[in-house]
Amino acid sequence: MPGPFAYFVWFVGLLCEAAVVVCALKKHAFRRYLLLNLYMTTAVVSELGRFKILAEYGFSSRQYQYFYYYSDAILTIFLYFALSTLYAHVFSEMNAERYVKMGTLLLLTGTALFTYAVVEQSTAKLVTHFVVELSQNLYFVGLVLTYVLWAAILKLRETRTRLIQLVLSLGVYFSLFAANYAIRNLYPPLSSVFVPLVQVFGLFLPLAWAYAFWRLPEDARLVPARLAVIPR
Amino acid sequence: MSRKLAVVTLTLLILVGAMGLKTMVTAHGDGSVIMANGAAPAPPTPYRNGAAPAPPTPYRNGAAPAPPTPY
Repeated sequence: MPGPFAYFVWFVGLLCEAAVVVCALKKHAFRRYLLLNLYMTTAVVSELGRFKILAEYGFSSRQYQYFYYYSDAILTIFLYFALSTLYAHVFSEMNAERYVKMGTLLLLTGTALFTYAVVEQSTAKLVTHFVVELSQNLYFVGLVLTYVLWAAILKLRETRTRLIQLVLSLGVYFSLFAANYAIRNLYPPLSSVFVPLVQVFGLFLPLAWAYAFWRLPEDARLVPARLAVIPR
Repeated sequence: MSRKLAVVTLTLLILVGAMGLKTMVTAHGDGSVIMANGAAPAPPTPYRNGAAPAPPTPYRNGAAPAPPTPY
């Protein structure tokens, strides 16, 4: 059963996720970053649903387990599409929207097929196994995609501050989970410290995105020299 | 056409890279979930029945270290 700290972090997370949507609406950025905001809206709804099921059935119940992992898979797919819209923003001047859409669908199909190939030998709970694995595989695809996008931002000398903030925070968010998992497995005795940190890391993305929508105007620009050092 | 092929190639490269990275990271993992959306406490995965450690495979008799193959 989660303790008071876990409930506190959960509640703060819910507030941060709602804050992203409110900030985007207030700064008229909701439609411009539609999928990012839909992801956050779905996150708020799923957090409320998780809380209701946890309160009704308990932490170890099958209901909470299934609802948690199925909603997590839906959220990961939303996050994946949100990331693809960031690609569309970065490559907007190259008229590459068609290719971004094509690549997004192709990669999603490839990941789903790969996941199915891996879990098809699992005789029991094939669908559930597939859903959880797909979510984790999409997480790694998202991680690689974010770093590729960051490389493209550097190469194209992208200067839109808000867009850079959104992409960078996503990169840090993914990396925090990967680093935490790696440390947890390198030093198993420290698991009691690093496992609860997963929950705390969940706060990072909504906080960073809320900041990006609230404090950074759409027309703010960064000096390219601050992004990359160009050899003379 | 070449742009479409470039997209397909890049997609496959990303997929291979991501799955390779996942295999590398989770090779010595404890099977727990790496990432979770939101700040809700994560329950154990539903397809793992209980948290008991996995027993040795039934076809190994005893816990003696395996010798090298005789050939």
